[in-house]
Amino acid sequence: MQLKKTTSIHQALALASCSLLAGVQPARAEGWETSASILYYSEQDRVQAIEPVVRVKKQLSEDEHVAVQVVADSLTGASPNGAVPTTTPQTFTSPSGEKTYTTPANETPLDPTFRDERFALSVEWARPLGRELRSVLQGHFSGEHDYKSMGLSATLARDFNTRNTTLTGGLSYNSDEVDPVGGVPVGLSDTVFRERISGTEDKQVLEALIGVTQVLSRTTLLQLNYTFGQDSGYLTDPYKLVSVVDTGGNPVSIMHEKRPGEHTRHALYARTLTAFGRDVLHASYRYYWDDWGVNAHTVDLRYRLQFSGGHYLEPQLRYSLQSSAADFYRPYLPQGETVEFVSADYRLATMTTTTLGVKYGIPTRRDGEFALRVGYMVQTGEDNPAGAPGQLASQDLFPDTKAIMVQLNYSLLF
Amino acid sequence: MRRAVPLILSLALVVLGGCALERVHPWERDVLARKSMQLDAYPLDTYLDEHIYSSKETARGGQGVGGGGCGCN
Amino acid sequence: MLRRLFASLFFIAVLLPTFAANAPELIFTTATGESLPLASLRGKVVYLDFWASWCAPCRQSFPWMAQMQERYGERGFVVLAVNVDRERAEAQRFLAASPAKFRIAYDPNGDTARLMNIKGMPSSFLIGRDGAILSSHIGFRDTDRAPREAEIKTLLDR
Repeated sequence: MQLKKTTSIHQALALASCSLLAGVQPARAEGWETSASILYYSEQDRVQAIEPVVRVKKQLSEDEHVAVQVVADSLTGASPNGAVPTTTPQTFTSPSGEKTYTTPANETPLDPTFRDERFALSVEWARPLGRELRSVLQGHFSGEHDYKSMGLSATLARDFNTRNTTLTGGLSYNSDEVDPVGGVPVGLSDTVFRERISGTEDKQVLEALIGVTQVLSRTTLLQLNYTFGQDSGYLTDPYKLVSVVDTGGNPVSIMHEKRPGEHTRHALYARTLTAFGRDVLHASYRYYWDDWGVNAHTVDLRYRLQFSGGHYLEPQLRYSLQSSAADFYRPYLPQGETVEFVSADYRLATMTTTTLGVKYGIPTRRDGEFALRVGYMVQTGEDNPAGAPGQLASQDLFPDTKAIMVQLNYSLLF
Repeated sequence: MRRAVPLILSLALVVLGGCALERVHPWERDVLARKSMQLDAYPLDTYLDEHIYSSKETARGGQGVGGGGCGCN
Repeated sequence: MLRRLFASLFFIAVLLPTFAANAPELIFTTATGESLPLASLRGKVVYLDFWASWCAPCRQSFPWMAQMQERYGERGFVVLAVNVDRERAEAQRFLAASPAKFRIAYDPNGDTARLMNIKGMPSSFLIGRDGAILSSHIGFRDTDRAPREAEIKTLLDR
């Protein structure tokens, strides 16, 4: 999968805040907990990824712990490069400039030269600052051949009303370096000239979170979060292209995309956990909006069917509607039109992402658990936007994505 | 920014109103103590999901946890 | 005049909690269904503990309470661990894994927990021979063992 390199920060915040749970206390004042997962992700005709994760947590006292997480990510396959399909085969040069690849007629151009290995390490320290005040500090680093990222985050949680209400606040800062294969291309330039700005570019991300968790009843929990994110620096995808087409819809040139140097984004997230006997319903809704013009609504529903003996089955449905595309998203650019920013990256377009999944878990001895998760994800968008000139009117301009995900988890305490 | 104002107001209401809501006492937290009722009992699942979806969509963020649970210690 | 009244009320309100209050008239239920009034333990130093099967730190407190009962039982020390599980079966499962070597009582409706104004789980109260509550604690941590034992010894030595 075109694993975007911008993922780390909110993950950092999410992970950091995970440990602030007033929840299942470890049964000991000290001890180790290890959990490992391996994800296999495979898109039809596109990208495959294998991602093992290992997390080791050491309990220092009842309220304090340190955890280390290591992730390795291996990606192979082909990914849409942003250019439009045409009635004749097209040849593109790979980012390195050393190879070329050809796309058959009437097919979405895919760049098959991607081969990515990523390594990420994060360290987390959770400790209490008072009986009803907890903090988590986290640092992480990730690296791959064309991208490096380093970040820090801090989260605080304070309880009120005998722990019926919890206020959470978090802040994180990330500093990334983009070092694309073949150098950083000049945005909006014709790929033929291979003009380069530099070898590397930087990006900074600042994120903040404020949330409240409220116990609604003995069996229901509600969480409301607002997150704010500010990205600045080089936000363009150095490998993505835009087709410049004539009135017949045929490409006259291929240009590099260019995105603004700032991105401010917001998310409002609400979720409830409700127990029905031993079963649990998890429902969440997120509304996202940013200054690039993207709006999205995401609903996630899970129902955990708990069986006696401790094993469970949890079907999941996730529906995400990106209802408004980025202002500078264009599946193609008509010749002669000048723009300040443009990107044909379908992930900025209006689209829906639907996932159907199921998880099955079995408790193992020593308070551990073994689980299997399987999911099927489909992404669809506007295949035939209005006004597509010439041959483009008969082409599928939104490359649908279909992917299967299989994940194995194992955790144990010792 | 104007969209954030209603949220901040509702957050404030929930915190203040928390005092008026049905209070669950410390000895009544049996259900909330279960692993299945934790906001994030499976951090690796969350990590991997966030990784997939933030790679495939522009929309991201929102999650971050704290609260609920058994409230012990 | 009004100011002086308020001042004295304030003064009393501040001082009042410092006078050791007597434990409320609590009546517990034993495993066999008999009633066990707290008053019946007058003359002994009582460690009153509220626990539940779903409370992980409670698992840690049990071996320590057993140790205290064994060490100081002869000197008139009694551990009374009150279970607040809604279902007796849950408590029994816990006790099967961590047998209690001290007295257990049951309060599935949480009436006595409410009367004692429990603020967290587990909660414990150290009650003197005269029935006065001398200290209360919320939670149980490794670092609590020594100081709480010291408190028990102080009360027994009086």
